[in-house]
Amino acid sequence: MKNKYGGTYRMAIIQSPLSLDPAHAADTSSSRIVYQLFETLVDVDSDGEVISNLAKEWDISDNGLVYTFKLRQGVKFHSAIGEGIITENGGREVTAKDWVWTFKHIIDPDTNSERAYFLDMIKGYADYREGETEALEGVVAKDEYTLEIVLDHPFAPFITMLAYNTFSVIPREDVEMWGQDFGFNPVGTGPFRFSEWIQDDRVVLTRNEDYWRKDEEGNSLPYLNGMEFRTINDLTMQWTEFGLGNLEAIESVDDPYYHEALEKYPDSFLRKPQMGTYFYGMNVTAKPFDNKKVRQAINYAIDRQGIIDRLRNGRATPAKGVLPPGMFGYNPDLEGYTYDPQKARKLLAEAGYPDGIEITLQYNTDDIHKRIAEAFQQQMKDAGIEVKLRHMDGAALFEAMGKGEATFFRLGWVVDYPDPDNFLHVLLNSANFGPLGNFTLYKNDEFDRLTNEARVESDPEERRKMYQEAEKIVVEEAPWLFVYHYTTEQLLQPYVKDYSLPPFGEHNAIFYSVWLDK
Amino acid sequence: MTNYVFRRLLAVIPVIVGVIAVVFILTSIVPGDPARLMVGQRGDPATIQKLREDLGLNRPLWQQFIDFFKGVVTLDLGRSYRTRMPVIQAIAERLPITARLALASMALAVTSGVTLGMVAALKQNSMLDYGSMIAALIGISAPSFWVGIMLVVLFCVQLRWIPGTGTGDGSWIYLVLPALTLGMRPAALIARLTRSGMLEVLGQDYIRTARSKGLTEKAVIIGHALKNAMIPVITVVGTGMAEMLGGAIVVEKLFSLPGVGRLGIEAILNRDFAIIRGQVLFMALIFVVTNLLVDLSYPLFDPRIKYGRTWRRE
Amino acid sequence: MPAERAKGMVPDNNRGDRSEGKVCSLWRDAWERLKQNKAAIAGLFLVAVITLAAVFAPLITKYDPGVQLVWTQGPDAQLVPPGTDHWFGTDIYGRDIYSRVVYGARVSLQIGVASTIISVVIGVILGAMAGYYGGLVDDIISWLTNVIFAFPFLLFVLALVAYLPPGLPLMYAAIGIVNWAGVARIVRGQVLSAREKEYVEAATVVGGSDVRVIVKHILPNILAPVIVQATLGMGSIIMLESSLSFLGFGIQPPTPSWGYEIDQGRQYLLAGAWWWSAFPGFAIMALVLGFNLLGDGLRDALDPRQNVGEGR
Repeated sequence: MKNKYGGTYRMAIIQSPLSLDPAHAADTSSSRIVYQLFETLVDVDSDGEVISNLAKEWDISDNGLVYTFKLRQGVKFHSAIGEGIITENGGREVTAKDWVWTFKHIIDPDTNSERAYFLDMIKGYADYREGETEALEGVVAKDEYTLEIVLDHPFAPFITMLAYNTFSVIPREDVEMWGQDFGFNPVGTGPFRFSEWIQDDRVVLTRNEDYWRKDEEGNSLPYLNGMEFRTINDLTMQWTEFGLGNLEAIESVDDPYYHEALEKYPDSFLRKPQMGTYFYGMNVTAKPFDNKKVRQAINYAIDRQGIIDRLRNGRATPAKGVLPPGMFGYNPDLEGYTYDPQKARKLLAEAGYPDGIEITLQYNTDDIHKRIAEAFQQQMKDAGIEVKLRHMDGAALFEAMGKGEATFFRLGWVVDYPDPDNFLHVLLNSANFGPLGNFTLYKNDEFDRLTNEARVESDPEERRKMYQEAEKIVVEEAPWLFVYHYTTEQLLQPYVKDYSLPPFGEHNAIFYSVWLDK
Repeated sequence: MTNYVFRRLLAVIPVIVGVIAVVFILTSIVPGDPARLMVGQRGDPATIQKLREDLGLNRPLWQQFIDFFKGVVTLDLGRSYRTRMPVIQAIAERLPITARLALASMALAVTSGVTLGMVAALKQNSMLDYGSMIAALIGISAPSFWVGIMLVVLFCVQLRWIPGTGTGDGSWIYLVLPALTLGMRPAALIARLTRSGMLEVLGQDYIRTARSKGLTEKAVIIGHALKNAMIPVITVVGTGMAEMLGGAIVVEKLFSLPGVGRLGIEAILNRDFAIIRGQVLFMALIFVVTNLLVDLSYPLFDPRIKYGRTWRRE
Repeated sequence: MPAERAKGMVPDNNRGDRSEGKVCSLWRDAWERLKQNKAAIAGLFLVAVITLAAVFAPLITKYDPGVQLVWTQGPDAQLVPPGTDHWFGTDIYGRDIYSRVVYGARVSLQIGVASTIISVVIGVILGAMAGYYGGLVDDIISWLTNVIFAFPFLLFVLALVAYLPPGLPLMYAAIGIVNWAGVARIVRGQVLSAREKEYVEAATVVGGSDVRVIVKHILPNILAPVIVQATLGMGSIIMLESSLSFLGFGIQPPTPSWGYEIDQGRQYLLAGAWWWSAFPGFAIMALVLGFNLLGDGLRDALDPRQNVGEGR
């Protein structure tokens, strides 16, 4: 029997994490580490199905309003962090009361969690948020291991949403003690506990000796002794370090050495379509994008497959619509736009621009975005479209987008939870203008109706039909230039075993069953 | 001398106030809302508003300015917008690696530069002289990040002499390439200054006097010529160290070193005004202190220089 | 005026009155000295060649720097090593790197020249005012100069470039605004010492207005160190632009800029395509070296005994 125990898993991340406090970990770097330290009620497996995590089983009432969770017993908070510093809670067991406190803490206006508003369908949310009540009405501990959540209206994606890392159970004593600094001293229930964080350099985690989960033979998990997340801002340097053997995994293999990676690591270069879409959004209230024909013309003028093949080594799926493959509601028979510069010209002429148009594309500074943008600029010329490029840092871009000043912008959207609501409703429903997600200011009454109804509908087939119809509307109206759907990747050293790619983004990979064969 | 030092320190204060004023003005006209950024790609307006309140972004500028200086007196520079870590701590945690890099680079630059320059001056117009001066010119003209890239490809990837980039396990070997990259330019400058300084002095009267007094060649050279040539070198070392301590941004990015420079860039990109202010204050202070130290050291090298004279350093 | 001063009013050939008629012979002397300095001539040659190449770019390049041959010629046009058709090879879009390097010279030179002009103009005006008027004017301008010096240079330019809307002219302004301090300090020093000189006192007595005195008598004397500073500064500015592009700020594609090309090409370095980074790197080195050699030569030629500081 192979000894699977031992070893430290070192991986490179492109950005330093901001905070290891689940209530504030809104970016992927932070989320990724939070997933190792904290745990949610449910999780999502590699096929996108909801599975049990800290909730052993759950029941949803017929009207879709009451969720009852039976909690797993024997789950303990971390007893120590850092250099053997004992935590305030001392390593005690998690009960339903902890979950009640956790939800309260997230929604608490003083916490000001960036993702609190995800929970606005919980009963009593508004009252508690405004300070009218002391407690959150909709989250109750029925007994020591039973948690009940009541909603104001049915929300089909609710259970999937609970897998999002913000909704992890946290120990009241430690959070209250550390206050603002909890993000630098995180205490959770996960397979790894926090050891050290050297700013801008690395985060070090060590094995949680008291972790509840066991493997099939009943051995304690995790197998790894610890994990190290090293911040390396530059993809070329990440590749270099990987080649030198200083890392077990990197997740972005940039195009220049993509083929080399495929050759050298044929079995440990994992790839699978990811639930994300890369698109250029157009502000439909600004000229010339207010004319549907112009928007359609742009969609006809781009050679998606060409860009993917030549610049991205074929590593993406050309996008016909909004929803990526693998997602519930994805329509494989959807008719998208073909590559037809002549048709594009015709449409422009019909729209009143026989001599073509001039537009400015804004995108955030990144090597891949730059490459694609330059190719796009070149291709548009064939259709008579002059494209000016403006790259800027993310902050300036979001500001411009939020204000509606960036009329033509790049955005890459990866789901927060694997449900089409997270795409169609958030990004294109007219209730979400501006920073809430709808930067294109797109408004279509039929589309709004479909997406609003699909939120509260409980029959999955009905929902599927609604979302597919909604998507067809959007594709025809073309508020976006649909470019491609992402691919999740991970390049591992050949001795890394039992790693599986997560369903919606590398940042929620779990490592409790990964082991190193060295 | 204490009088001079005191006067200099006093003169520093209006400069620091000016620097901070410029930072405040700049950050106020900048596009990009730090609160908006903190919530990520999408966020609800209520949360963003509350964040702005918490960060004090809605207060009038002059009030923020006064509050900042009140904080400076109590050594409280506020907390980073992005990570909520106290600014002083954020800078202090990154300082050691920046300082180590700066010292290593400068030490390398001074030893190699002075030696090269000295030898070139003594063997003036020889092949060695021309060769080293050409090397020095190339050292000043080559872009440092380009050289750094080549060094990594050569020593890490091809030759495997250096195990990798970043801080690794903390051993000194990881500093070698960054120090070479960062120290190249100062080394070249110092070599040239040493050479010209020595050449200038070697021909002067008091050297001839020293020789005639019967001192050995060595004593003459090191005792007098080199010492005098050091004055412009000290200036370069001073300004160079001040710049490096502020963070060698390009080298830190290339070699993934978690120093002060990286902190600065991230702060700029994320509109983390708290960090930007704190860091600029820190760098300005280092600059003026280094200047003062450099000026105070001049008499060690040239006894003709005294204080109180209108020595154009200001 | 006192008798002793009247006696001292003899123009000094080496350091002295360079106003009006004396100027021509002094510049000619300098030119003679410069011609004999081989290194300086080499520098002048480098700068001239690159400048001419930039100016006549369309005539000396076969391909348009923006044309992405990959769409017309297919993947065979991507990352072609240097050869007879593409002297410096091609990049990932199939663009000819030789053209991009030549056109890139335009960007570097534009930035160098424009920023230098801006900083020199501002620096000379403010430095002269500070030196000439002294007192409160001097105090304020010196304070401002020190504030600029104390400011972390790269961070400042980076911030300006990051926050302002992109575009070449704004970049010139950004660099110029930050760079004038060095010029101002030198000018101020020169003006201070020139002010003491007899001929200036004579001129004021005779009744020239302030401005006239400054322009006709003082400025010609400070020209030399300013020229040296400016030339050496060009090298620094060009390096600065490439560092900014490397860090991801600055020039917008598809305008070719040497720093941008080095950054883009760097990622393909390990895959074997060394030419994309190498040639722009050599180009930067050549141009900066040229300016440095020329600056050194000018300094030696214009006043062999004066010790003007190195470029920043």
